[in-house]
Amino acid sequence: MEDNTKRLHSGKSYRIFWWITGHPIFVASLGMMFVAACLAFIPKLVIDPKAESFLPKDSPALVYREQVEEIFGLKDPMVIAVVNKNGVFNPDTIQLVDWLTQQVLAIPEVNQDRVISLTTEDNIVGNEEGLVVTPFVESLPVTQDQTNEIAAKVKDFPLYLGSVVARDSSATLIITEVTEDSHAPIVYEKLMTIIAKAPIKNTEILHVAGDGAVSGYLSAYIISDAARLVPISVVIITLLCVLAFRTVQGSLLPGIVILAATASSVGIMAAMGDPIYVITTSMPILLVGIAVADAIHIKSEYYEQRALTPTLSKQAIIVHSVNKMAKPVLLTTLTSMIGFLGVYFSSYMPPMKSFGVYSMIGLAVAGIFSLAVIPAMQMLMPTKDSAAFTSSNTRKGDKLAQFMDGVGRRVLANPNRIIIGAMVVVVMGIYGASKLEVNESWVDNFQTSEPIYQADIAINKAMDGTSNLDIVIQTPHQEDLFLPENLRKIEALQFYLESMPEIGGTTSIVDYIKQMNRALNNNDPSEYRIPDDADLISQYFLLYSASGDPTDFEEEVDYDYQQALVRARLHNGRLQFFKPVVENAQTYIDENFNTRQIEASLSGRIYVDYEWLTNLTDSHFKGVAFALVLVWIVASLSFKSILGGTLALVPVGLATFAVYALMGALGITLAVGTTMTAVIALGIGIDFAIHTIERIKYQIQVQDLSPSEALQGLYPSTGRALLFNFLAVFIGFGVLGLSHVPPLAKLGVLIAFAVLVSFVASITVLPVLIKLFKPRFIGFKKGTDINTALIADVSD
Amino acid sequence: MNNLMTKMGVLLLAVFASSDGFGEEEPSVEQIIEQVNLRDEGQAVSRILVMTLTDRRGKTRVRETRAFRKYFGDEKRTAIFYKKPNNIKDTAFLTYDYPDLNKDDDQWLYLPAMRRVRRISAADRGDYFLGTDFSYEDIKLETRISTADYHHILLGSHFIEKRKYFVLEATPVDDKTAKELGYGKVNTIIDSSNWMITKNEFWDPKGHPLKTIDFSDIRLVQGIWTAHIIAVDNHKTGHKTHFSFSDVDYSNGVNDDIFTTQSIRRGL
Repeated sequence: MEDNTKRLHSGKSYRIFWWITGHPIFVASLGMMFVAACLAFIPKLVIDPKAESFLPKDSPALVYREQVEEIFGLKDPMVIAVVNKNGVFNPDTIQLVDWLTQQVLAIPEVNQDRVISLTTEDNIVGNEEGLVVTPFVESLPVTQDQTNEIAAKVKDFPLYLGSVVARDSSATLIITEVTEDSHAPIVYEKLMTIIAKAPIKNTEILHVAGDGAVSGYLSAYIISDAARLVPISVVIITLLCVLAFRTVQGSLLPGIVILAATASSVGIMAAMGDPIYVITTSMPILLVGIAVADAIHIKSEYYEQRALTPTLSKQAIIVHSVNKMAKPVLLTTLTSMIGFLGVYFSSYMPPMKSFGVYSMIGLAVAGIFSLAVIPAMQMLMPTKDSAAFTSSNTRKGDKLAQFMDGVGRRVLANPNRIIIGAMVVVVMGIYGASKLEVNESWVDNFQTSEPIYQADIAINKAMDGTSNLDIVIQTPHQEDLFLPENLRKIEALQFYLESMPEIGGTTSIVDYIKQMNRALNNNDPSEYRIPDDADLISQYFLLYSASGDPTDFEEEVDYDYQQALVRARLHNGRLQFFKPVVENAQTYIDENFNTRQIEASLSGRIYVDYEWLTNLTDSHFKGVAFALVLVWIVASLSFKSILGGTLALVPVGLATFAVYALMGALGITLAVGTTMTAVIALGIGIDFAIHTIERIKYQIQVQDLSPSEALQGLYPSTGRALLFNFLAVFIGFGVLGLSHVPPLAKLGVLIAFAVLVSFVASITVLPVLIKLFKPRFIGFKKGTDINTALIADVSD
Repeated sequence: MNNLMTKMGVLLLAVFASSDGFGEEEPSVEQIIEQVNLRDEGQAVSRILVMTLTDRRGKTRVRETRAFRKYFGDEKRTAIFYKKPNNIKDTAFLTYDYPDLNKDDDQWLYLPAMRRVRRISAADRGDYFLGTDFSYEDIKLETRISTADYHHILLGSHFIEKRKYFVLEATPVDDKTAKELGYGKVNTIIDSSNWMITKNEFWDPKGHPLKTIDFSDIRLVQGIWTAHIIAVDNHKTGHKTHFSFSDVDYSNGVNDDIFTTQSIRRGL
């Protein structure tokens, strides 16, 4: 013991900690100033809830989509759906639609010119003399007969079927756009207020939905979710510290680390001008659990040391305990950071990159605070012994330590069962990983009970669908889109798209041309076709302009009649559903377009989602491999043993397999949230293994315990601290499992599960393996009975 | 006859006013409007009109036309013959604007590709005119000021290069009229030296800026003040309309036969 204490007195790290504890006011105020500076930036934070944020701003799919939106003046729509199972064509429902339309038009943030509903839209029909463009609803119907006339007109106008009015008349939409994307949350709120006070006389059910509504509501949703979860996790973690240390100081100081970690990650993110994404709202909650772990280990060591050497000065005890924990704390901080670095490097998605970087910063700050600011603050606070650590029971420990001791006995007595259990997990994990599927829709960010989720289902059921695949048609010359041969190609493309069961309907300028041709040929249904004369088509548009608006066809064709947009509506925005559609459409385009006369390319929400989701599996396994290799290198270097590094990987490896097995069993798909599970779990779970190995090594090499004593001795001391470390992290992620944002909840549950497996494996499989392999880097002598000590690497 | 007398009377008043006899006293709103509305527009005019329409991205459509306008009493008839581009060449538009507000205007369009004259259903007054940013009502009024639709007040006056301009504010007489016109407020700037409107600013019924019409290159042609460029800027859609007039001729008269469906079908 004496020698060991002496060793603690020497070395560079010792001097650093002596200096820190010698200047407590300086160090503590420096720390607090840093926290205050970080907090000051937080009000600057902006939220980016859009699905597009998952692709880098310069990604070709996104850049192209933005160009397309600019050319055709597209914005994410918000819709009010009026669903009436008895049909919408009755005077009451039409009046309700008109009332809603007027209310929507009165919202200042709504683009007045882009409000579409049954009562705003014009019909294109012919009479014996010419073309008539008149509103479908010229005056509100009073009788059912009048409503039937409107119904007949709408049903005779193919363009609005499935897009404005359900093909079975069971629903109709009021479609609106906001003037600025940033107004989306306000407009969503106002639409919800409007539908709440709508005068419903019949059996109508109202919904608000659409991409614009989803992103509009999502910001409020994720913020309220985080505001609910952060306090819960802080309270639980503090209670855990109370349980662990039973002193005021021991309970509050870890709180400082939590504050520093969360404030620095979020504050620096704000200072860098990065927005908060759906996925990064989970960061503070995760950091609460991870950041507190270092503090728990150091405080445990402090109270243990205090109980062991009560005669030493307070400063000496602090310096001893911090110095002893410095290496494992630095190492675990580093490995956890590697996990997040894995998230950063493997992902091309800005939210993930942001998540990786700022979590790393938070973890680094947590490490520094645990090693410097906490010891300094401890110097400034009166200290008491912890009831959990007293000299009389340190060796044996409190009830928890005794419990851990019992766990150790049972584990070390049954190595074979442990190994077999581990093998089973591996096999199940491999099977689970092989079945891993990507699936995601932006609306999955909401709980299924949320009105917006219900709205999405209702609208997709009644209408042609809310997810758009856009095909941009490009021709080399102005007015090439008056040419019948080009229009026929577009028409054929639409027929092809509509032949796919996933596609509810398509719209293009060709539909309007056919409608005009029919109107000008006595409304003869057989004239619903493309005319053969390009001049005639151009004159149709002039004729139309005599009563239509100059910007009426903006969404379908550009001003030069050189580019057109074909929009296909899909019932479902999930990758598994739309993947074949995108791929078939691309094949069709490759075979039939892309000549010198006419080209076509894919765009739209569906295509953008396709681009980033199809890369998700790749990036997922890349991230896991990256983190595994890096953690392995760091652990190997730290233990100066490749076997040591490999052993440290065993528990996290098992945890990763277990996660895949669980995902397979529960049918959880790889998506925005879950894709990061394995990498984060790896970085966090490795901590348990490092602490375990460090402790066994320390007991053999420094405390000169025999291997079997060392293995058993692991449990009451480090085992107990690890239990609290585990509980903190587990609860931290577990709280995230309570999130109302399903991707975050899944992420939380899966990581909590992975951490559980890592912890269990670290105190079962890992000691068993050490017992079986007797690795020399830990201090086992060559061969069991050879008594040549190999204390080679205790150099500091 | 009575009408002619008042016109003469006000014309005299105008001459009187411009010759300093008015002193420094500001004319009333009614007097300003009368001056504007009594300004000679010529009974008939023929001119070349080039319409340049520009969308919010800067893409343009240029249409060259020959346009005729003639008053038949208080009824105004307009015929526009498209010359370019080729795909709408020989298309022609004919409209009869009746002074009686309750009588729908008559409009026809001849489509050469169909070889038929098509009657166009009566447009609402606030509807856009042939893909431009003018409403039918704007076209009908030309450079006149409507007293039936609006209440007017004089906002003030200012001088630019020693020339005095009056600024009038017009608000529709009621909500129904505002909705019909698509305007909630119109400000008009009038050059006091020739009683020409130089600028109109429009707000929609909800008070959002809607569009601006600028009249420029104002010159005397055969004794009649004529704006040769009229440009509209639609603030809501970003769409722009540029009308450029040339070969303006008031003196040679326009044959009544031009304003018939047979004529637009036959062409010039």
